[in-house]
Amino acid sequence: MTHIKEQTPTLIMGAMLLVYGLIAQSGALLPVVKYLHTHKTLDLQVTMCLIVGCIALVGALVNSVRKPGHSNLDTFILQPLGGIVLILVMAMLIRWYAEPLMKIISQSLQPVLGFKIYKVLNLNYVVLGILAGVLLTNTWGIPKFAAPGVKCARFVLKMGVIMLGARYSFAELAKLGVYSVFLVGFFVLGTVFLVLWLGNLFKQPRSMTGVLSAGMGVCGVSATVAVAPVVKAKSAEMAYTIGTILSFGIVCMFIFPTIGKLAGMSPVQFGAWAGTGILNSAQVAAAALAFNAVDIETLKVAEIFNITRVLFLPIIVLVLATWFGKESGHKLSFKTVVIDKFPVFIIGFLLLFFMSSIGMFSPPSHYKGKYIDVSYNDRTQVTQEEWETLNKAMAAGEFSGLTPKQLEAVTDLIKQRQIAGNFEDRNNKKEFDHVGRARMAQLEGVLAAAKAKQIELSADVKSAIKHAVKQVHKKSKTVVTLTDFMIWFFAFGLIWLGMHITKKSITQAGGWPIVMGVIAGITKATLSFFVVLWLIKDVVLN
Amino acid sequence: MFANTLYINMFNNILLCTHGTDGAKKAEAFVFKKKESVPDMVVTVLTVLDEDWRQMTGDDWLNSSKTHTTFLDHVEEQMNEEIAEEWLRMQKQYPLATQAKFIQRTGSIAETITKTAKDLHCDLIVIGPWCKRKRFSIHSTRMGLRSTMKNKELHPLLPCPLLIVP
Repeated sequence: MTHIKEQTPTLIMGAMLLVYGLIAQSGALLPVVKYLHTHKTLDLQVTMCLIVGCIALVGALVNSVRKPGHSNLDTFILQPLGGIVLILVMAMLIRWYAEPLMKIISQSLQPVLGFKIYKVLNLNYVVLGILAGVLLTNTWGIPKFAAPGVKCARFVLKMGVIMLGARYSFAELAKLGVYSVFLVGFFVLGTVFLVLWLGNLFKQPRSMTGVLSAGMGVCGVSATVAVAPVVKAKSAEMAYTIGTILSFGIVCMFIFPTIGKLAGMSPVQFGAWAGTGILNSAQVAAAALAFNAVDIETLKVAEIFNITRVLFLPIIVLVLATWFGKESGHKLSFKTVVIDKFPVFIIGFLLLFFMSSIGMFSPPSHYKGKYIDVSYNDRTQVTQEEWETLNKAMAAGEFSGLTPKQLEAVTDLIKQRQIAGNFEDRNNKKEFDHVGRARMAQLEGVLAAAKAKQIELSADVKSAIKHAVKQVHKKSKTVVTLTDFMIWFFAFGLIWLGMHITKKSITQAGGWPIVMGVIAGITKATLSFFVVLWLIKDVVLN
Repeated sequence: MFANTLYINMFNNILLCTHGTDGAKKAEAFVFKKKESVPDMVVTVLTVLDEDWRQMTGDDWLNSSKTHTTFLDHVEEQMNEEIAEEWLRMQKQYPLATQAKFIQRTGSIAETITKTAKDLHCDLIVIGPWCKRKRFSIHSTRMGLRSTMKNKELHPLLPCPLLIVP
């Protein structure tokens, strides 16, 4: 037990997780989780706490009795264990306690303030996670025992993006891909050339404008890190540029979701705007999840734009290397400039996308990991209360504003208590299925019309129809599991993001880079906002 | 004048910490002026490469570890060049600086200064005063990171007296 002192924090966290898991399993926490509305996650809480707690205890004990070696087990599991457990504990506390508490407090303060703090400031688990990371790193700092594990978050974020690949269809990727190539291509190249022009106008050194143009144009600090050695940037130029990009990016990360909501942007529009206008790629994911943390539509769109942007990085590095090389006489190989800078994880993303598309995670008939089953099944019926609600609404003439086809679908729903084809066609599966799906589409139209306030329906009626539609949507278990993992990976990665927003790195901002950076950043964010509103429509994901 | 001569005569081995800022230049001027009157005084010029450069990759998660290493190598190479230029400037400005020993260390600033002073058995550490920042001035120039030491971090570690030149 020679290293027991260094392992004490991990041992304590492991023991606490085990105790929590056992208490949760006994049911003693039921009143608390019901109050917080997290009771549906109780099984997950027990499983995660017991598994992570056991791994933490065993790993910390192994680390206590033996000197860390250089094996893969040591490098990838035992050494980073403390940091991984710390971030996981933070993520669990935020998802299961801080976020629900924030919602409850916001609701109770609404009569006094007139608005919900939770909604206005987007205080979901993503934003709270980032804030927790910022708070930790700028007060106590990242604890020594956690430092190796914190570095793993880069890998975890990449895993999150790779898993997201399973959630796209060919049609989505093709449509979003075309939009993103045009939009990102225009804005990346536009911003790069704007900064180069500003540098020329203000008579700034090429090394500084080169490094700033990549950062402002492509993907923030990542591009700066990739380009700085290529353009031989001086130390102060790098410090100014990174400080400027981090500061501007952080402001965007918190402001974008609020502006998007105020402007009434759809998830698709916001995803496209964030993916184009926000500088750092991790901040794009954070803003997309801050805008909509429940449904991952925004994240899906933002990540496609993000990936497209990242794919532009080797091209921009090549352009800047050529531009700078002409002046300085430096010669760089194609391998150094392009191949070494290629983001390899995108191959993983595409691999998951292809695996999903060929039906490895769900049958080929599934769409986006879901499939529609309109066959007769007791489990797809609406409840007795819902059926009575619909019956009463029909008798009261509440459906008078519906089109004849919509009315026919509602009438059949009441008749059959579920969305299905005609009983007499039940042996003709194709026809039965076709009619059932058409009725489902009509009922979705009823809900859309109610949402757009074209017709007026009571909340109970809307809830009953929504439930009927939901009942025939089945989700692939593999895709659901992959999505759950992906959300946890992003939660983990974004706490790490917060841990890297240090006061010291932000306060490096200054000099000419802040002037040129703010001009270029605001121009890009503003122009992309209007272009996205004009160009991107909701139909993209339909 | 008498007091100045008296106290500086008490010290034979001085650690001058500089990173080229306006404040640090005041410390340089003071030390090399005093060396004129105390020729036997040993002066070691220390420039610290701030370890916080490692944090300056910020929230970059896209690049490979190879790109990160290339970036940090570039930072180190660039800082070495800039520090060498700074030392050359000092030697040109103060002829007696050619007799000084120049060293560069990497680490946290307060810890590195105090550790170096201890290792070299220095009896006085000389630093420049805090100067008003020109962060948002477009004409501001500097070398490396904008770093400041906190007294509460530096003072408990001091192995010898500290002189802050006004």
